[in-house]
Amino acid sequence: MLNVQFLKQLAHYEMDIQFEMKAEILVLVGPSGSGKTTILNTVAGLVHPDSGTIVSKDRVFFQSDEKPLPARDRQIGYLFQDYALFPHMTVEKNIWYGVKKKQQKESVATIQQLLHVLGIEHLLQKFPHQISGGEKQRVGLARALAAQPSVLLLDEPLSALDKETRQQCQDELLRLHEIWQIPFIIVTHDLDEAERLGDRIIYLDKGHIVREERKKYLVSAY
Amino acid sequence: MKRFYLLALFVMLSVLLVGCADEEPEKVDSTVKNSPATDKQPAKEVELLISAAASLTDALEDMKATYEEQHEGVTLTYNFGSSGKLSTNIENGAPSDVFLSASSKDMNDMEDKGLIVEGSRADFTSNVLVLIANKESDSTITSFEEIDPSTIDYFAVGEPETVPVGRYTKEMFEHLNLWESLQDKLVRGSDVRQVLTHVEMGNADYGVVYSSDAFISNDVKVLAESNPDWHAPIVYPGAVVEASEHKEAAQQFLDYLTSDVGKEALQQFGFK
Amino acid sequence: MDYSPLLLSLKVAAISTFIVFLAGVFIAYLLAKRDFFGKSILEALFLLPLVLPPTVVGFGLLILFGKKGWIGSWLLEWFDLQIVFTWIGAVIASIVVSFPLMYQSAAAAFEGLDERLSNAARTMGASEWRVFWSVVFPLAWPGLVAGLVLSFARGLGEFGATLMIAGYIPGKTDTIPMAIYFAVESGQMEKATFWVIIIITFGFSLILWVNWWSKRNIRRFTRT
Repeated sequence: MLNVQFLKQLAHYEMDIQFEMKAEILVLVGPSGSGKTTILNTVAGLVHPDSGTIVSKDRVFFQSDEKPLPARDRQIGYLFQDYALFPHMTVEKNIWYGVKKKQQKESVATIQQLLHVLGIEHLLQKFPHQISGGEKQRVGLARALAAQPSVLLLDEPLSALDKETRQQCQDELLRLHEIWQIPFIIVTHDLDEAERLGDRIIYLDKGHIVREERKKYLVSAY
Repeated sequence: MKRFYLLALFVMLSVLLVGCADEEPEKVDSTVKNSPATDKQPAKEVELLISAAASLTDALEDMKATYEEQHEGVTLTYNFGSSGKLSTNIENGAPSDVFLSASSKDMNDMEDKGLIVEGSRADFTSNVLVLIANKESDSTITSFEEIDPSTIDYFAVGEPETVPVGRYTKEMFEHLNLWESLQDKLVRGSDVRQVLTHVEMGNADYGVVYSSDAFISNDVKVLAESNPDWHAPIVYPGAVVEASEHKEAAQQFLDYLTSDVGKEALQQFGFK
Repeated sequence: MDYSPLLLSLKVAAISTFIVFLAGVFIAYLLAKRDFFGKSILEALFLLPLVLPPTVVGFGLLILFGKKGWIGSWLLEWFDLQIVFTWIGAVIASIVVSFPLMYQSAAAAFEGLDERLSNAARTMGASEWRVFWSVVFPLAWPGLVAGLVLSFARGLGEFGATLMIAGYIPGKTDTIPMAIYFAVESGQMEKATFWVIIIITFGFSLILWVNWWSKRNIRRFTRT
């Protein structure tokens, strides 16, 4: 479903990344500066690799020597670290931001369901600065999914939350994935979290994949 | 030229250094040693501070070397500015020995306030108004009377209320019955330099300045001169400042300006 | 009393502020977060009018926009448009001296924005046009207003360069600062005081109003 394969020269090393994934949850772990966020940005189209191919379903995001597909045309859901909610818009406006005019009618039901699953219906008229960290995280998730993306990218989605909220949100993420059935790529530096969420875990160091684990091995290892 | 500056700098530095070195031993018995020194100095070296109207800049700078050569021990230091500002400065106590004004009005004020030495006042030169155009202008006008407002887009003059040359210009045009009909065309400069600039750059068709001003610009040509009957005489009065400590040397300089030699030197720069 | 300096000053300041705002915002956004060889040289060039004496700016403008100037001769030939000694000249002088203030404010406002907000908008399918108007512009607005107010104030008070390029033609190109200057120089203190009061009243209340208005409209945008 999602095929990623690219080279990119960074300041201190060259990234050499290659993986393929289905509608599963892929977790990227590794020390800071190992290139995790760069992988998300490359898939999203915010930065471009030097060479390689990135293909989602049958749509070519990037191909060496061709003009890359701009971020806005990739239909990516991206939950940024600290969520990057628009501070000057209500929760409702934030969530509807990515929904195209033509799709508004048919999106009403989907978004209604999203709000329900995430339990944020009562926050619609609030501004981001008026809600808690956990609520922001849920709003960010709802916003990333509202436009019905084909891939969801999550950069340290739970790191800003306290332990209790974090566990609750992990469960929500798993539930959302079950409903949505699209590739989720989650970046984290928390190994416990990686093991709880991931169907697959990719360990990164200095831009290279050093190890990969699959859920079944993980389960058997316990 | 560079060498000269370097030399001058060197001399100045060494004088400073020597001065500093001398100071120490003098402190031991300053009263005895200092008094004869201060007595001698004025007779030997005189620095004349001359506050002069800006329009005299080139002429006076040119005159400086000759004058200092002929009068040993005298150095001339100039302070150029508008006559109004200079007179205010002197009134406020700015050091000055000679005041060379471009307007009788400012000199009258000084005289009324007793700021100049009685009897020292003398008109040392004069100016006339000239009609100027850009040197590339194809205008065929040869006198002020030929000016036809309807063929002119912009006419640069000094602001009549604040700039002396503007005041005389207005007087002249009123005399020639042109002031009213030129109203919409008049671009009023805040000083003579602006009037010149507007004509030099070809933005104004004509301008009126002093003959001495037209003289220093290479980009304008003089089409006509004013008739002295059309406006109050444009004279440059000079006087010794009452507060001066070198009244004798100051009077000497003023006499030089009014002498034939001095007048000739000024005429070389467009003064009359 | 002739009131034309008031109308002329407001007209000149308003038009120049409008143009400066558009140009400043556009250029600052174009250059923000972009690094290329010569960017600092370009920025220093933008700020030059702030450090140059007004007469130097005025002289430079005369060289460009004079009847025989590079741009001036071209405008005259093709559009029969004269800049020197017209109110348009005053507008151009105002633009040149107030642009640095607008550019500086806008550049600072854009630099201070969180890049991830625009990126979030992009991943949600927003065009660059929509990213700018829906995210960048409203969030940078407080900084842009600061630039707007400064530019207007600077334009309203502009004197030195204006006098050179627009000349002083009473009833045609006499802005309030010119009226004040010539009134003071000729000792007409009553007239000078009148114009000083007028310019203070207008400048002060306009700045006050813009500040009040933007605070009221922007309060909900800010995080805290």
